[in-house]
Amino acid sequence: MTRVSEASSFHAINHAVGKTKSRLEDIQLKGSNLKRIQKPSDDPIGNTELLAVRSIDIDNEQYLRNISYAKTQLSFTENAIEELTDLVMKAKELAIGQSSNFYDADIRRSVSKEINQIKRQMVSIGNRRMGNKYVFGGHKTLTRPFDEDGNYFGDNNRTKAEVSKDFFVNVNVPGKVVFFNGEEENIFNKPTPSPKEESPLDDNMQVNRNLASTDETNIEENSFDPVGGNIIKHIQSLENALLTNNPEIVQNILPVLDKDMDNLIRLRTELGSAINSIENAENNIEKTKLLNAEYKTKIEDADVAELFTDLTRQQNTLNATYKASSQLMNRSLLDFLR
Amino acid sequence: MGADLFSIGRSSMSASKKSMATTSHNIANANDDNFSRQQVTTETNTPVAEGDYVVGTGTNIREIKRVHNKLVEKKLNQSISKHQYNDERTTQLMNIEEIFNEINSDGMNKVLNRFFNSFRELSNQPDNEVVRTMVRDNARLVVEDFKRIDSSITGIKSNIDKKISTAVDELNQAANSIARLNKEIIRLENMGGETGDLRDQRDKAVRLIAEYVQINTYEDEKGQYVVNISGVGSLVAGGAVNKLKAGMIQGDRGNIRDQEGEMEMFFASNTNMKVSKSLRSGALKGLFDTRNNEIVQLRSQIDNLAYGLAKATNAIHRRGYVNGEVSFDQQGNPVSKNGQKVTGINFFKLPMTVDRAAEYLEISDEVQSDLNNITTALTPNSPGDNRIAIAISKLQHEKILGEGQETFEESYLKSVGTIGLKTAKSKIDTEQSAGILAQAKSIKQRISGVSIDEETANLVRYQQSYDASARVLRAADEMFDSVLGMMR
Repeated sequence: MTRVSEASSFHAINHAVGKTKSRLEDIQLKGSNLKRIQKPSDDPIGNTELLAVRSIDIDNEQYLRNISYAKTQLSFTENAIEELTDLVMKAKELAIGQSSNFYDADIRRSVSKEINQIKRQMVSIGNRRMGNKYVFGGHKTLTRPFDEDGNYFGDNNRTKAEVSKDFFVNVNVPGKVVFFNGEEENIFNKPTPSPKEESPLDDNMQVNRNLASTDETNIEENSFDPVGGNIIKHIQSLENALLTNNPEIVQNILPVLDKDMDNLIRLRTELGSAINSIENAENNIEKTKLLNAEYKTKIEDADVAELFTDLTRQQNTLNATYKASSQLMNRSLLDFLR
Repeated sequence: MGADLFSIGRSSMSASKKSMATTSHNIANANDDNFSRQQVTTETNTPVAEGDYVVGTGTNIREIKRVHNKLVEKKLNQSISKHQYNDERTTQLMNIEEIFNEINSDGMNKVLNRFFNSFRELSNQPDNEVVRTMVRDNARLVVEDFKRIDSSITGIKSNIDKKISTAVDELNQAANSIARLNKEIIRLENMGGETGDLRDQRDKAVRLIAEYVQINTYEDEKGQYVVNISGVGSLVAGGAVNKLKAGMIQGDRGNIRDQEGEMEMFFASNTNMKVSKSLRSGALKGLFDTRNNEIVQLRSQIDNLAYGLAKATNAIHRRGYVNGEVSFDQQGNPVSKNGQKVTGINFFKLPMTVDRAAEYLEISDEVQSDLNNITTALTPNSPGDNRIAIAISKLQHEKILGEGQETFEESYLKSVGTIGLKTAKSKIDTEQSAGILAQAKSIKQRISGVSIDEETANLVRYQQSYDASARVLRAADEMFDSVLGMMR
């Protein structure tokens, strides 16, 4: 027979009730916000995974902002280039008409006014701003890139945006690439490998890469021409030729304008495919977001059915403990000694 | 013959009375966990030869002794030490864990992530003042969170230090009372006194010591307790106490945190011998372990993170040029504006050393005073150049810490994971040791604890025997009267 003393049964009851109650409290806490993890120690691995996934979520939110920014900027650029194409087209049509000997000086002078108008519109497109930024200025976004005569004051640098982890796209086209008809390789769509950092902890770190930039292939200010290398200048030459009533020069300018058109059309296709690849990245991020949400739920959310089954079970255990204890504690030999 | 009856009756009455007194004493102390129930042991008086027979002469109280089992007591002390170790460690680890808990709130991981993403946002709009404000605000949050973590850890550390001091004081007091009780028990036992209650008190003091350190006790030939701290040395021997002391000593890790000193424990008689590392279990070991392992490690990890972040960010940030006009002299060197540098600007004020970097990390004065000093451009006079901002945002995924093995986030999450794992393990250990302790206590109480039922039954039994003894006396008296009546 095991001897039972007041204190031993008291301790046993205390331990049993305490244990059940602490479990019950734990379950109630989880039930109160339906989270399985309340503290890192509830699931140390899950907790760190959860934090990592949350980071990826915040990153993705930022990438989505970058994407919307890049898309806006690229569509803005595309629209500008489209308008520019139309203007070149219009100028070309007029030039074709004036390249024959059919018209006289007066008519040519009045057409030259129209051409002058086109030129001004082109300058204004070249100086177009998004917000307070000149989109065709390269990195010189706060300097007016073109003057009245079509001289270029911007640079030839491209800005990049990270549209998903380690995937950079160019989000601007410098005026030089648009207006100067240069041979330019496809500058969009080219995934740039993640910039490799030499250990930045080394104070004498040399930047032996171009920080987050592409290789700056210098565009030759090329290639042709007697009048100076950009569309605005070409149109100016056309205007001058018309003013001086010189159809031969007008004829000479026609192939130049063709080349300008080709350049613009090529740029537009490239912009289009750049936007496409950004949209791809966007779709991928949206997919990842869904997957991550599912994953997070799996890690952090309590299984409601299990939780409440557990809750009921622990409550029953507690009730049973109480009942059993009351049987033991309220009985004494004294009750029977009268 | 009649005289025999009287003396037998008297011996029986007094034994019953004594037993009833002891029973009442047991009932009175039934709720004292440290009390061991007492039992009256009686034996028969020496019988005498009467003619052809040997006749009994009544009863005699041999001793009143407490019911007690030394082995059970030892087991209990061990369970107490072990449980107190786990319990104290769990308490401290849970405190630490709470610093890194960002399940329902923002913590370092989120803040750090926002910091990098604000540079990513800045790369979209390098010329936008609002975004620059955001960058600086996020950097401030990072700095503040480093300070929060650092000061929380420091708070827990100094709390532990205080706890250690108090614990050592209590331990010394308990040791003193054991020594005092040792002397007292010897004195009383030499006089043949009852010492059960004093022994209970001494056991209680021993258990108090067991809460703090694991001990090993034995009774010497004179019945005095000798208390040894396992792995450390003798604390009480008979009436002598070898006092412990806790205090700050010069640290030996060779870093600037040593100036704060390290909490250490030693014997007052030999302050050269540090004993904190030799402890086997008990709350004190729990405190020392947490203080000397987890807290030291975490601080160094957080410091490394803060220092690495500042250094890496600065290394890139210094290459950039300020937002705004930059002019150059004839040698092609940038001219400073109003005495302000236009390049080579730090983003963070780099702490002097890796140690305490989390505490001393600040945003540089330049960035603090002028948002345009947040550089984004690799080339001067290029407001649209975002290459610096992109490069800083890419630091988020660079493996910079741990000798190029870990990103900032990985390093931080490793710390959080480790503390989580340790806390979880400690919790399980505590639950287990609590079970074992409850069992040990219950075994002790089964043996030494008072059962009211039992005492009630005893009371009835002794009362009846008292009544019966009284009857014996009355019978003797009547017999005596009869004899006297014969004379009349």
